[in-house]
Amino acid sequence: MTTIPKVYTIKNTPKETLESWFRLMTLGRAIDDKAPNYLKQAIGWSYHAPYAGHDGIQLAIGQIFEKEKDHLFPYYRDMLTAFSAGMTAEELILNGISKATDPSSGGRHMSNHFAKPEWNIHNVSSLTGNHTLHAVGVARAIKYYEEKAVAISSQGESSLSEGYVYEAINGASKEKLPVIFAVQDNGYGISVPKKDQTATRKVANNFKSFKNLRIIHCNGKDVFDSMNAMTEAKKHVLEAGEPVIVQANCVRMRSHSNSDRHDLYRSEAERQYVLDYDPLAKFRRLLIRYKRFTEEEIVKLEAEAKATLKAAHKAALAAPDPDPASYTDFVLPEPYISEKYPDGTHEEEGEKKKLITGLNETLKAEFKHNPDTFMWGQDMANKDKGGIFNVSKGLQQEFGPKRIFNAPIAEDFIMGTANGMSRFSENIRIVVEGAEFADYFWPAMEQYVDSSHDYWRSNGKFTPNVTIRLASGGYIGGGLYHSQNIEGALTSIPGVRIVYPSFADDAAGLLRSSIRSKGMTVFMEPKALYNDPKAAAVIPDDFEVPFGKARTRRAGSDLFIVTYGNTTHHCLEAAEKLAEEGIECEVLDLRSLVPMDKEAIINGVKRIGKVLVVHEDKVHSGFGAEIAATIMEEAFEYLDGPVHRVGSPFTPVGFHPILERAILPNTTKIYEAAKKILAY
Amino acid sequence: MSTAVIYSFTSNKTAKAGQKIVDGFGKSLKLEVVDADNLTEENFLAYDQLILGVPTWFDGELPHYWDEFVPAMEEMDLKGKKVAIYGLADQVGYPENFADGVGILARLLRDRGAEIVGMTDVDNYTFESSHAIENGQFLGLVLDQENQARLSKKRIENWIEDLKKIFK
Repeated sequence: MTTIPKVYTIKNTPKETLESWFRLMTLGRAIDDKAPNYLKQAIGWSYHAPYAGHDGIQLAIGQIFEKEKDHLFPYYRDMLTAFSAGMTAEELILNGISKATDPSSGGRHMSNHFAKPEWNIHNVSSLTGNHTLHAVGVARAIKYYEEKAVAISSQGESSLSEGYVYEAINGASKEKLPVIFAVQDNGYGISVPKKDQTATRKVANNFKSFKNLRIIHCNGKDVFDSMNAMTEAKKHVLEAGEPVIVQANCVRMRSHSNSDRHDLYRSEAERQYVLDYDPLAKFRRLLIRYKRFTEEEIVKLEAEAKATLKAAHKAALAAPDPDPASYTDFVLPEPYISEKYPDGTHEEEGEKKKLITGLNETLKAEFKHNPDTFMWGQDMANKDKGGIFNVSKGLQQEFGPKRIFNAPIAEDFIMGTANGMSRFSENIRIVVEGAEFADYFWPAMEQYVDSSHDYWRSNGKFTPNVTIRLASGGYIGGGLYHSQNIEGALTSIPGVRIVYPSFADDAAGLLRSSIRSKGMTVFMEPKALYNDPKAAAVIPDDFEVPFGKARTRRAGSDLFIVTYGNTTHHCLEAAEKLAEEGIECEVLDLRSLVPMDKEAIINGVKRIGKVLVVHEDKVHSGFGAEIAATIMEEAFEYLDGPVHRVGSPFTPVGFHPILERAILPNTTKIYEAAKKILAY
Repeated sequence: MSTAVIYSFTSNKTAKAGQKIVDGFGKSLKLEVVDADNLTEENFLAYDQLILGVPTWFDGELPHYWDEFVPAMEEMDLKGKKVAIYGLADQVGYPENFADGVGILARLLRDRGAEIVGMTDVDNYTFESSHAIENGQFLGLVLDQENQARLSKKRIENWIEDLKKIFK
């Protein structure tokens, strides 16, 4: 039962408004009905999630959206939402049949994912409700920059079963953010009925106890009830400055998608029941019953819709397909280019600083340099504590709680809202402590993966500008959740730069490049080296290290050691020991894993011939496998023996120091491996 | 006094219940049966006494044929009219919105001046909440063919006996 102001009724709504709604709904439905034919004719649109039955709420979501001001996150069933928000029939079909001129993604993303990023109709994942966190993130920016705008997250009711949706709504409630969560409830998640999702049929009511959150229920099949609900929701968000959930009861008149058959799990009576409440037919009857339009006028509008669809269909068919050579475009945006330090080295002399000091001072310098920088994470800012290892100490005091703040213990929320906030403006740069320790980053992986392909998926229209700091690695006796390395898994995912410094100056220089660059960078911090004097270095105040530039930390001609992170120091120690025996090793610190300095590696192999690859992470599928395979493919004839790898065995890292020592690589293990190669 | 029983002719359980109500009154009251799907304002206003069949659809909504008639009813003067409502509902499948349709329509009509008659006890139903309840009673007759079909006959009989005392 709706208890909201009846701003729109069949009797008081201006005729031209009713006409524009009817045009949208009629043409929208015509496209929705026609979509399966494209698949039958092998033209495309292989994924189509019909919206029929959601007509009222989708019309309303689009109508209250103000392009280039509000932010709309439509889900894969939101065709009418996108159409009502201003996209054209041709644009919808271009997306459906994956043409190069599809404004959503140029044919890169699945069909039926409608977007127009330049209007703030965002390109979202197929992962249901994953964009809820993005809406909350962009709403944080809307609030910070004091825009009179709203973020709208549109999604099915089943998405509320996802943990990250809870995180999003909790965050919006806690921060009092301008978000509307428009929940389109058709009773099914594909074939899974509501009763198998949650005990509460009106799932929004699960959030009743949240503070600073209003819940509105409406009939999503009814144009007027939906318009009134969404109008009230937007008004409330703007006036009260708090989020609203609108749960719109819809029906799904068809199957979930064209790969689903709802006759396998819905009775004929049920299928007829939902068809009986066809929202478009209801709206048409109302227009005539209350004499707002004559039958003749309606028929004329319907004929015009058919003609428009025909023209849009013809234009879309003639549009170009994606160029196969373009698939390498937009994997990663161009990074910040260092003019002063093009190879990321320096000759500065003076006092050495610890790695943790280098990070802390660089963060402070960058936050001074760019006022549109923000940082959050767990344990980030609480009195004198700044981050789990105090890397961010003093930042909140200097830059204030609106730019430096704690996040809930919710890694996915940390990542997802970073993605979302960076959608507000390309000037924004966000740094997150992705988790207390890298080992805890896994709950954020769905956001990480989704963010990794945002740039590619949107055909270069959006990239999250986020630096993810992760305290990584072992040698601290941390066990399974405080001493692992995760870069071997992360480097298999395209679209993110990954750096892993081992000295204070490189850490400072890479952090500066990360924060100044567009795109995402994972910044692995070897936590065992934060305060270790051996990682201390002289750091020029403005030091910058470009991505993909390795650094030779020791020159030699007998053995070429490629490494990064904690093991750089073990390799240097092993090299020192070998030097006492008259063996000169060259130690190359990669610094960047993605992009990798292939040129430096190949050049070293060509000059030296014997190669040892060392890292702390597991040898099995570790990043060293990529290095070794690259050498085999591109410099095999220069090798003077097989490439050896030293790393952790294929086990977790144990907690007891005895176990940790047995598992992690060290100077002795490297020394012994080096001797073996040298003897080959 | 003229009396009509109005329900959707395309409905199933609601129509059957309507027919049982008509049969139950027998010759004691002259009843006309009107199709809710084709209801007009003139039709509706032509009767002094009304028995309305209002099932609850989805999670607590009026069926479309009643919902589409709401804008018309909102402008009616219903003073002097007596209205009894019966509704089909499912207390197991939809316990949070049990028979809401009955309550939605009853309140709307009462706001327009109608006298709502035929309240019934909530005993022997199990649900969580309902808009059809006021002062501990349902604002009409609630039938649950999904879960308590065997009780419907008696419930209808009792309701008719009550209405016979009110309807002339």
